[in-house]
Amino acid sequence: MENNAFRDQIMEDNEHEEMPDSFVCCVCLDLLYKPIVLSCGHMCCFWCVYNSMSCLRESQCPVCRNQYYHFPTVCQLLHFLLLKIYTAAYKRRESQTLEEEKKSGFYSPQFDPDTCESQAKFGHSGIPSSSSILNLTSNSCNVGTSECLEQSGSTANEGDEGTIFSNREPDIIGTPAKGKKLPQEELSLQQKLSVADVTCTMCKQLLFHPVVLNCGHVYCQICVINIDDEMLRCKVCQSPHPRGLPKVCLELDHFLEEQFPEEYGQRRDAIELQQIKVKPDTPSSCSLDGGKKPENTDWWSDPDSKVHIGVGCDFCGMFPIIGDRYRCIDCKEKMGFDLCGDCYASRSKLPGRFNQQHTSEHKFKLVQPNIIHNIMLRLATAQLGEGSIDLESIGNIEVTSDGAALFGDGEDNHNDSEAAN
Amino acid sequence: MMISGGGGGGGGKSSWSSSTSSWVPTTSVSASGKRIQREMVELNNDPPPDCSAGPKGDNLYHWIATIIGTPETPYQGGIFFLDIKFPIDYPFKPPEVVFKTRIYHCNVDPDGRVSMGILKDDWSPALTITKVLLEVRSIMTNPDPYNAVVPGIAHLYSGDRAKHDDIAAEWTVRFAK
Repeated sequence: MENNAFRDQIMEDNEHEEMPDSFVCCVCLDLLYKPIVLSCGHMCCFWCVYNSMSCLRESQCPVCRNQYYHFPTVCQLLHFLLLKIYTAAYKRRESQTLEEEKKSGFYSPQFDPDTCESQAKFGHSGIPSSSSILNLTSNSCNVGTSECLEQSGSTANEGDEGTIFSNREPDIIGTPAKGKKLPQEELSLQQKLSVADVTCTMCKQLLFHPVVLNCGHVYCQICVINIDDEMLRCKVCQSPHPRGLPKVCLELDHFLEEQFPEEYGQRRDAIELQQIKVKPDTPSSCSLDGGKKPENTDWWSDPDSKVHIGVGCDFCGMFPIIGDRYRCIDCKEKMGFDLCGDCYASRSKLPGRFNQQHTSEHKFKLVQPNIIHNIMLRLATAQLGEGSIDLESIGNIEVTSDGAALFGDGEDNHNDSEAAN
Repeated sequence: MMISGGGGGGGGKSSWSSSTSSWVPTTSVSASGKRIQREMVELNNDPPPDCSAGPKGDNLYHWIATIIGTPETPYQGGIFFLDIKFPIDYPFKPPEVVFKTRIYHCNVDPDGRVSMGILKDDWSPALTITKVLLEVRSIMTNPDPYNAVVPGIAHLYSGDRAKHDDIAAEWTVRFAK
C-alpha cells in the first residue's frame, strides 16, 4: 500500500513538470535542491551532503571519494539558476524538503533573490563593510523564518510561493547577452536565462570553467588562479577556501557551453589570446592532488587532539571541529551555532550555515570535547587500531584535557556530555 | 552546527551543534523511500544484464533480486536469488545483500551474506542497487580470495582452481537450477 502511494506520488510529480536530464543529485537521484559544489567539482543537494558527511573523520565525495574537511555553503548562483530553469520541479523539491525539515526541526538556509543580487553587486567593489553584511544576513534570516511560518499555514497556496520567489527580471550586472541566434528548441530556455545569471564573481563575464569556493561563490578558474594570496580567500565574503584550488564544476561548464555557445566561445578565445599560463597541475579531472596537507589529517590517531565529534564550525565549515570550540549561548535554533578557534578569533559576522539567526551581540562560551565519548566512539568504530590504546595514552588524554571534561568542574561540561549522549 | 553519523561507517550520535536534543536522523522515511522508488524506475528502464530486482510484496525496503550465472563460469545456467534489505537511512548506509540460493563462493558466507567492500566501509551514497548487482555479478566471475569469508574455498580457489570450479558447478546444478 505504502508502495503504491510512493508510485502515485512519483507519477504525479513527473506528469506536469519537465524532468531534468542534467543537474540530478547523485544521492537522492532527484533534481538538485540547494546545490552544494564540493571542491572536486561534484554537486549534491544541501541535505544530501549533510547526511553523507562523516561525523568522526574526514568526509568523502559520494562520486569520486575525494576527501574534504569542510562543509561547503550552498551555491546561490546555481540555486537561482535551477529555480529559473526547472521552476516547477524546483518548487516541488522546495515544498517536499520543507515538509521534512519541519519533521526534523533542522532547517536549511533560506535565500532571498534580492540578497543574492545585492551580494553579487558589491563583489565588484571588493570588501563589503561588515555592517552591510550584517544587514543582509539578518534580512535573509527573517525571510527564511517568515517563509516557514507562512508555508506551515498554507502550504498549497500558490500566492505564498510567488511572493518569496517573485519572478523578477534580473538586473543586468555584467555584459548583456549578445546574439540570440540559437536553435529553435533552445529559445524558450534562452529567454528565461541570460548571461547575467551566470557571471563570474570576479570578472563579471560569462563563467568559463567555473569553480565554486567553499563559501558558495562561483568564479572562473582563471580568475581564482590569478588571486595571489598565500591562502585562497573569496573576494566577496573573505571566507578562506581550504585545501588548495577547487576543481572545475564540469556539469555547469558543459551546461554553459551548450546554452551560450557564442559567448562561451568568445570567452575561450579571449582567454587563449591572453596566453595566461594555467598551471599544469590544475587539470579538470576529479582526483585532487593532496595539495597542502592540513595538519589535522591524522587527528584520530593522535590522542592529544581536541576533537569535537559531530560538531562543525558555522563559519569556515570545518567538520568535525579540531581544537577550540566556541558555542553560542544565545542561538535558540535546534541546530545551534558553533565556531572553531580561528573563526572565533577572527570574529566573523556571517550567519550560520543552516537557519540560525546569529548576530554579533551573541555571546560564546568555550566547550571542552567529551573525551570519554570520543574514545568510546573511536573504539567502537575501530579507528584506533588494536593495541594502540594503552593505559599510558589514556593517562595522557586525562592530563591534556585538564581533567575538566572528565570530572566536570562546571555545567559546561555537564551540558556538553548531555549533548553528546 | 552538528552532524549526524554519516555514511563513512561512523555510528556516532550527535548533530551539527545541537546542545539540547539528542541526535535526530535527518533522513526521513519518505526521503529514502523516494530514492528507492527512483532506483526502481531506473532499473526497469535500463536493467543490468542478467539481473533483475524489485520489491518483495508491499514493502519497499525489502527487495528480491535474481542473477543468472554468467556463461563460462562454474555458475553458468544457475539462477541465484538474493534478498536485499534497505536500511531506513538508505542511501547513507549500505543495503544488506544476502544470497537465498546456496552458492559455493569464497566471498559468500554460509548464511548467504555477501562480503564486499562496497557493502561495508567503501559504501558511497552515490551507489545504486544496479551497481551493487553488477558488482555481485563481477565477483561471481572473479572471486576475491584475499578478502574471503570462507577460507577453505579461497584456499581451494587459489590452490586447485579446477577442483574449486567442479564443486561450484556441482552446487549450481544442485541448488540453482
